Amino acid sequence: MPSAGTPTAAPRRGGRRMRPSRLLFVLITVGLPMVLYLGLVIWPFLQAIYYSLTNWGGFSSSMDFIGLDNYKAIFSDDVFMKALRNNVILAILVPLVTVVLSFVLATMVTVGGSTTGAVRGLKGSSIYRVVSFFPYTIPAIVIGLIWAQMYDPSKGIVNGLLTHLPFGLGDRFNSFAWLGETATAMPASIFVIVWGFVGFYMVLFVAAIKGIPAELYDAARIDGAGRLRTMFSVTLPMIRETVQTAYIYLGVLALDAFVYMAALNPTGGPDNSTLVMSQDLFKTAFSQGQYGRASAMGVVLAAVTLLFAALVFGVNRLLGGKSDK
Amino acid sequence: MATVTYDEATRVYPGADVASVDKLNIDIQDGEFLVLVGPSGSGKSTALRMLAGLEEVNEGRILIGDRDVTNLSPKDRDVAMVFQNYALYPHMTVADNMGFALKIAGVPKSEIRSRVVEAAKILDLEPFLDRKPKALSGGQRQRVAMGRAIVRSPQVFLMDEPLSNLDAKLRVQTRTQIASLQRRLGVTTVYVTHDQVEAMTMGDRVAVLKDGLLQQLDTPRRMYDHPNNVFVAGFIGSPAMNLLEVPVTEGGVKLGSIVHPVKRDPLAKTGDKVIVGIRPEDLTPASEGGIPVEVDVVEELGADAYVYGRTDVGGESDKQIVARVDGRQVPDKGQTIHFVPKGEGDHLHLFDPESGERLGD
Repeated sequence: MPSAGTPTAAPRRGGRRMRPSRLLFVLITVGLPMVLYLGLVIWPFLQAIYYSLTNWGGFSSSMDFIGLDNYKAIFSDDVFMKALRNNVILAILVPLVTVVLSFVLATMVTVGGSTTGAVRGLKGSSIYRVVSFFPYTIPAIVIGLIWAQMYDPSKGIVNGLLTHLPFGLGDRFNSFAWLGETATAMPASIFVIVWGFVGFYMVLFVAAIKGIPAELYDAARIDGAGRLRTMFSVTLPMIRETVQTAYIYLGVLALDAFVYMAALNPTGGPDNSTLVMSQDLFKTAFSQGQYGRASAMGVVLAAVTLLFAALVFGVNRLLGGKSDK
Repeated sequence: MATVTYDEATRVYPGADVASVDKLNIDIQDGEFLVLVGPSGSGKSTALRMLAGLEEVNEGRILIGDRDVTNLSPKDRDVAMVFQNYALYPHMTVADNMGFALKIAGVPKSEIRSRVVEAAKILDLEPFLDRKPKALSGGQRQRVAMGRAIVRSPQVFLMDEPLSNLDAKLRVQTRTQIASLQRRLGVTTVYVTHDQVEAMTMGDRVAVLKDGLLQQLDTPRRMYDHPNNVFVAGFIGSPAMNLLEVPVTEGGVKLGSIVHPVKRDPLAKTGDKVIVGIRPEDLTPASEGGIPVEVDVVEELGADAYVYGRTDVGGESDKQIVARVDGRQVPDKGQTIHFVPKGEGDHLHLFDPESGERLGD
């Protein structure tokens, strides 16, 4: 029956050319997001790069193409370089301290309890899980303002407590300006950011640790692994992806850090010791009206951020490759 | 190598009213293969985890050799465990998995390597030493888990349903391997399973648990021939023993239309009814009399066949009966055949209908 094949073949041949409904589907699901992405992400990005090569003031329609002059200017500008340096310090310390603290805490509340009996967290630690999440629910600007008050040299609670230290140690904190000294302004600011995020990342890590089969911890304990060994040989490798993600998020946050820094030290701190790039960018664009130059700063910020993410991925792969062997 | 002793060991989970393991007493000999068997929720895994130190002991003691390990942490007990899902470290190679405990114990690298290779040889794992667990089949993973236990040469092996994730054929094969490996190494082993066939084929002795209580502790043979109560009788053996509640009459028990003679002494302890247990192989077809069984299904296994049918016995209707018959003379479905106990009733088991306890020897 040679004709039997024809009817089944017909719709297939028709399918080669896209039917209108199918075309519409593709346009909506693939085309629309692509257009939005191009229009709202890629285009502004390219635009910013273009502006960074001009002397545009932001409000006039006149702009001249000046090549890399803006970049030359900001890289020879001590203030911007200091801001860049501060951002790099933040990007190194904030993720490191936050991830380490929240990882240790997460381990303690999930698997760090008694070494006999079933694997469990420390006694009564579930309360801490809730309490430590609180800071994350407070808006960043509020956190900044609260801590600015707490660090206040004469009325702040920090000095209020520290001045009561015994053996004359307390006297040193009389009217000590935490945010007004070049030596302490940056560490004090880092502390605030870390304080705000440890709880959240702890909860994130707790969720990841809960996903590890309990049998694995049983096996580790029978193999003789103590708390530290279990942490490094079981927990960390098992939640490595989560740690990497947390690290990148925190790094991106630290490379911005605008809200915290602006709330704690609006002008960049003593001797610009807490000034960050986004603050400098803001000032350059909106106070000084140098949009071209501010755009160049933005491009540098974006480049540093991408570099940071690439670095974290690279390091993770390198370490992973090592322990895999 | 050591003995293991459960001395009134009890575990009550927080918030639970009843004990998951209730006053467990078992003495395990040095080098013995003991199987803990029972249905889910019987407390067999809990009992094993108590020995491992992964579960607290609320009352009583657990000893390994002469050491009281009740309050020791798992790492100080010198036991190795094989888990149901193997619990291999996914980020480590097979060799690292097997050598992890030795590494923690501070054994020199060269010695770790040689011990791992030695164990890998025994288990045919040599080609896979540098692979990660995810690149292995289920059977290979199971062997790695075994290897991890062997490498440590511990005092006691603990195995928590290590075969339940294997397919049927591999399970039978691995069952024999584990049993022979254990005989060769001579390490005291406690093995948990829900599968009574595994229990019967592997164990030197078998402990049957139900609801946290030890029902019987015996050799597989004795367990089969002399179940202590109705539960053990029904649990051990496949297909299960027929348990019929029948009237007691003068000189014996009434099985359908016949009176089967049994000794007087055991019957003296019960009322006018008794539970009679007859294994499928202890029933034989008779021309008439005995228990009339209407055949539902016939399972032909070649040499033998199992007849599954229903009968009305001792006031109960549609009671399920299983009997083993000659594979060459199988009845038809729907046919009614009469079964009587083989011989003089030496293989008849009598249980008290109230307590379920065994009557007589």
